Order: sequence, then C-alpha cells, then structure tokens
Amino acid sequence: MKQIYTITAFAENRPGVLYRIADLFLRRKVNIESLTVSEIEHTGQSRFTILVHAEPLLVEKLVKQLYRIIEITKVIDSLDQSLIIKEIALIKITAKNLERRREIEQLVHLANGKIAAVNQSYLVVEKTGTEEEIDSLHELLKPFGIKEFVRSGRIVVFK
Amino acid sequence: MKLTGSQAVMESLLKENVKVIFGYPGGAIMPVYDALYDYMDRIIHVLVRHEQGAAHAAEGYGRITGEPGVCLATSGPGATNLVTGIADAMMDSVPIVCITGQVASHLVGSDAFQEADVMGITAPITKWNYQITDANEIPEVFSKAFHIAKTGRPGPVLIDITKDAQFATFDFSYPKEVKMESYQPTTHPHPKQIELAAELLNKAERPYILAGHGVIIAKAEKDLIRLAEKGGIPVAQTLHGVSIFPTAHPLHVGFLGMHGNYGPNILSNKADVVLAVGMRFDDRVTGRLKDYLPDAKIIHIDIDPAELNKNVQVEIPIVADAKNAIQALNKEIKKRSHSAWIKEFQKCYQLEEKKVIQNECDPKKGKIKMGEAIYKLNELTKGEAIIVADVGQHQMMAARYAKFVKPNSFITSGGMGTMGFALPAAMGAKYALLHPPNGQVSDGKASLDREVICITGDGGVQMNIQELATLAQENLPVKIVILNNDFLGMVRQWQELFFKKRYSMTKIKNPDFVTVAKGFYLQAEKVEKREELMGALKRMLKSKGPYLLDIKVEKEQNVFPMIATGASVDEVRLE
Repeated sequence: MKQIYTITAFAENRPGVLYRIADLFLRRKVNIESLTVSEIEHTGQSRFTILVHAEPLLVEKLVKQLYRIIEITKVIDSLDQSLIIKEIALIKITAKNLERRREIEQLVHLANGKIAAVNQSYLVVEKTGTEEEIDSLHELLKPFGIKEFVRSGRIVVFK
Repeated sequence: MKLTGSQAVMESLLKENVKVIFGYPGGAIMPVYDALYDYMDRIIHVLVRHEQGAAHAAEGYGRITGEPGVCLATSGPGATNLVTGIADAMMDSVPIVCITGQVASHLVGSDAFQEADVMGITAPITKWNYQITDANEIPEVFSKAFHIAKTGRPGPVLIDITKDAQFATFDFSYPKEVKMESYQPTTHPHPKQIELAAELLNKAERPYILAGHGVIIAKAEKDLIRLAEKGGIPVAQTLHGVSIFPTAHPLHVGFLGMHGNYGPNILSNKADVVLAVGMRFDDRVTGRLKDYLPDAKIIHIDIDPAELNKNVQVEIPIVADAKNAIQALNKEIKKRSHSAWIKEFQKCYQLEEKKVIQNECDPKKGKIKMGEAIYKLNELTKGEAIIVADVGQHQMMAARYAKFVKPNSFITSGGMGTMGFALPAAMGAKYALLHPPNGQVSDGKASLDREVICITGDGGVQMNIQELATLAQENLPVKIVILNNDFLGMVRQWQELFFKKRYSMTKIKNPDFVTVAKGFYLQAEKVEKREELMGALKRMLKSKGPYLLDIKVEKEQNVFPMIATGASVDEVRLE
C-alpha cells in the first residue's frame, strides 16, 4: 500500500546532484510531493528532504538507487511517526477594513501563527507547523479571500 | 610544471597508464588534438569514422583489460554521437572514460555553435560526469574519473572540458591517490552472511550457481570453478558470463535466458538453493517473475547494493566484490557431490542436442546454418579466440555454440542490445590485446596473436560499417564474420512466431558486402556452399590483416530453445 515517505539524502554540494536525484524519481514514475534543499553549515554537504507517496518496496529500491549517485553520502527513508516535521506557509490576504483585520489577527493568534507583513491593502500571515496545522489555518482563512498561498515543503529532524 | 589544459589532459592520461584512445576531432576539442600531436609517441590515437564507433571501441578495450577504455570527441554532435555507446556501457557495467570538448565557458548555455547540454544528456547514462571550466580542475577530475569508472560496479564516466579550460595554463601536479568520502564501494562480504550462505549451500540437495559478468569483472573465474568443484554444484552462465567456465568443464551446464540452453532454464525451478553471483536477474534470464525459482532459497552476491532485491526477493543478499565473496565461501563450503542432480542437466542436454543442436550444427542438407558456421569456426580456433558478437540471432547462436577455453573471451552488447556494437568493439578488443595498459600483457606473444573475431549480422554490420575504414587505415587484423540471411532475423523470428508471419520491414536488400569491404581496402570473401565453408574460414584466419567473410545462411531460420516474453523459464520451447 502507498504511504507517505520522507526521504532524506545527504550529498556533496555540487551542481548536477539534484538533476540526478530528480531523474531517478522520473524513471521510477514517482512524483515528488515536496522538496527542500539546503547546505549543512560548513560541511560542503547538502541535505535534500524529499516527500513522496509510494509503495514501501519501491521506496526501498529508490533509496538504494540513490546511493548509486557518486556524490550521495547517506540516504534515510522515514515514516512520519519517526520524525519531527515542520513546514512554513505564507498566506497573503486582502484586508482593507479594520474589522476584518481584527478577525484575521484573532484567528491567526489562536492558530499560533503570526502576521509577517502588513500594509493598507493586505496582510501576510506566517504559519510554521505541521502540514495539517497549515491546512486547517488555510481553511479558516479562505472566507477572507486569499490572494497568495505559498508553502515551503517540509523539513524534518529525526526523533 | 606549467602546462596548458590540453597538455594536462595528455599528462593525466599518461598518469592513468592510458595507451590507446579512440576519437574524432572537431572544433571544441581542437586544443586537445593539438596537444596530442606531441604525444603520439606515447599515446596511440585511433581515428574512428563515427563517434559511436569510438565509444564501442572503448568498451571493447575496457571489457578485455578491466581498465577504462578512453574515447575523445568534440562538442555537440560529437558528444551526442557517443550517447548510445555510453548507455551501452552503463547497462553492461563497462569502464570507459569519455572526454568531450565543450564551447568556451562564456558561451555555455547560450545555444552556441555545436553546443549541446552534454551534462544533462549524459547524466542518466553515466556513473559520473563532470564539466571542467577551469584548467586547475583537470588533474583531480581525471583521477576521480578513472577511479570511479573502474572500481565498484564499473561504468562510463564523462568529462566535458570547455575550450577556454583547454587553452588556459596552470601548474600541473597529479594527485597520488583519490580521496572521496562519498564513494566507497563495499568490497568485502559480511562474514555472517557468508556463514549463512555456506550453511544453505552445504545442506542443499539441488544447489545451482548462476554466474554473471561480475565474476569476470572481479577476475574470480578460478575461484568460482574451485567453489563449484568443491560443492559439486552445476553452474549456468548469463550472456555476459559466457566463458567464465571452459565450455567443456563437466560442471558447466550452459547458457541462461531467453535463448539459453534447455536444462539451465527448465531446471532453474527445480533448484532448492541458488547462488547468483555477479548477475542482476535480468528479465531475459528470469522469464515471468512470479513463477521464477519457486522452491529455491536464493543467495545473491553483487557489488551494487541496488541490484539486491531489485527484481527477485532473496534470502541472503551479500554486497561484495565477487572474488572476495567467493573466496570467503570457499573456506566454508563442504565437499559434496550431487550426481543425480547433475545428471538431470545432462539428460536435458541430450534432449536439446537431439531436437536442436544436431540439426543446427551438423545439418546434412539445405543452406548453411548459423550454428554450423560457429561450430566450424570452433574447430579452427580451438576455443582460443575472442568472440565479439553483435545483436540478434547470430549473437544468440554465438553465445550458444562458440566454445571457449579462456575466461573473458565473449563480448557482446547485453543489456542495451545495441546493433552495430560488435565491429567497433572488436576493434577495441584487438587494441586491448596489442596495446594493453602498462605492464598488463598477461601471456606475452600468445595474447598478441590471439584472434578477435566479430560475429555479426547483415543488419548489424551496416550500423557501424564505416569502421571498416578504421580497420583498413590501422591495418588491424580483426576478422569479421557476417551471418547473412538477408533479414533482420530476430525481429523476423518474432514476427513469425507472434505476429502471424507479417514480415513488416524485416526483409532487407543488402549491399554486396565483398564489394563494400574491397572498397574499404579490406580482404573479403563470400561463401554460400557448405563444402566451401571450411576453406573460407581457414583463409580468413590465415590472412594477415582485417578480413570480412560474408556467409550466406538459411534465410528463415529460428533460434531455439526459446522462452517467449512473459512466459516462465519452465515453459522453454525446443521447437
């Protein structure tokens, strides 16, 4: 049965590694649901966090095939229960009238988010949390008219 | 010492003991060719007639020596012409290093003249690739490239060098060793896994060894023979495993797969313990997966962890170099014999002999048959020759009927099935015998005199026929045998068996190959009659230079046994 897997890959920080990783998922016809890449401080290594929805056996094969990429040093596949998962979302909402702003601020406050930017015509809500928390705040804010909604894709640390 | 990037390329090749390179000049690689002019006393450059030929020739060289074959091409079309050869090397784990020129770095990405995104194009078909835009990178990248190409599971590596990096001067010094944190193939088996594997084999009633290319790459042939002899275990070889065992060895039961021998296929499913070593359970070997090896506990040795549990779920996966793993197993294995089990293989062989082999190799009437031609060739070469087969019916016939006494004597395009492979690969193999990397001549003169025979078809030979010009220019004594049935025979066979004999685009009007060869200044002969075959083969082997023999064979002959696509190995057909 298909499950959500987070594949964390560590690799030398060089051009072309992402290309090879992406190509492998393409060959196996596995869609990348989200992807974040960043350099691990002072190591010359990058950390790739790749979210996929796939069968366990296929994930096992993907992980082994990822190791074929010369620059890759370590690959770990995990299910959600073994991870601390966070994602960040930015939600831009038109809000010209004061009443509505108050309502939004209250909601955001309740949902543990914050207001990242504000001006006369809109405000930007910033929410860090699990995917579900972000989804639920998104639902709550929908009636106010969302202009833009961006999410970063998950980053994780291992429990 | 101060060198230009191009001189550094030459010096790096010398540091890697490269004796021969196969290539073709062009704009973006001209500085390297200019540097080569001063190195022609130390590096032999073979001017192919198409870059695909260079890549396959490098493969032939790499397969014979175990050291990377090297090819050189220009940017754009030069590089893209290498692609089929690179993909072939990737599938068949062949060490090659391809060096391509690239437009100047300030033009990269601008759709410049003869610019192609070679890095992007070759990423999925190389073990590693790298674009050098700064001459200072040359020594480190070359040492890494050769290291990566030949260690672990070998494969193709491509180095793309921009023209400005070829011109730039810098202080050259070559690294003494390669240090790579991220690339450290596991070469020694886990002792516990070996113990478990030995335990299984020692208890087995019907153990069976499937031996593949990895055994040859690891040069573990003798160790495997010792293991089989000690454990009394029959051994079947994959297409790339052909010639691991001398053909006549009593424990060698034959060739596996779609057109392999009857016994090795049908008895797979009777084995209770299977030791698969240096092979990857390709679909041509396994047939229908869900009915493959139903009763067997499987031990799988491979240096590439990604091959373990990829196609077939195994009990004991062992990540290791085949030689280390087999040597470790040899210490644990008990002396056994399984004569009743081996007798089953013999019985199957007798049946195959009666139903297929006799008629194929010793027909009394009708046109010459493909198997017969190979059989006659065996009589003359005594199994000493290196056979390089192309792709198609003749390839299966060569794998089935060519006899071998030495390991690593059968070269073909397996995974990729690249028509046009054999002629340039045979060229590379012959260079490997004549000019091996430093100090590698294993058996002196014997190796220099060893015949390299290209067995090809009338279709396949036309897919790189321009390399006849290279053979002529170098006067390289490669012998070319065309098994000519005026058909694209393997596809025709499938059309006959699975597409109601609708011969769509498989009947071909061939050129007169003798005239073609002579036009290229090669000696050549055509033979059509059985009674003239032996004489023609003898003349070919006696000739001094390159030689083409066009053998007209029966037109609509099929290769049997056969496991149809999607069928199980125990549904192998004899007719």
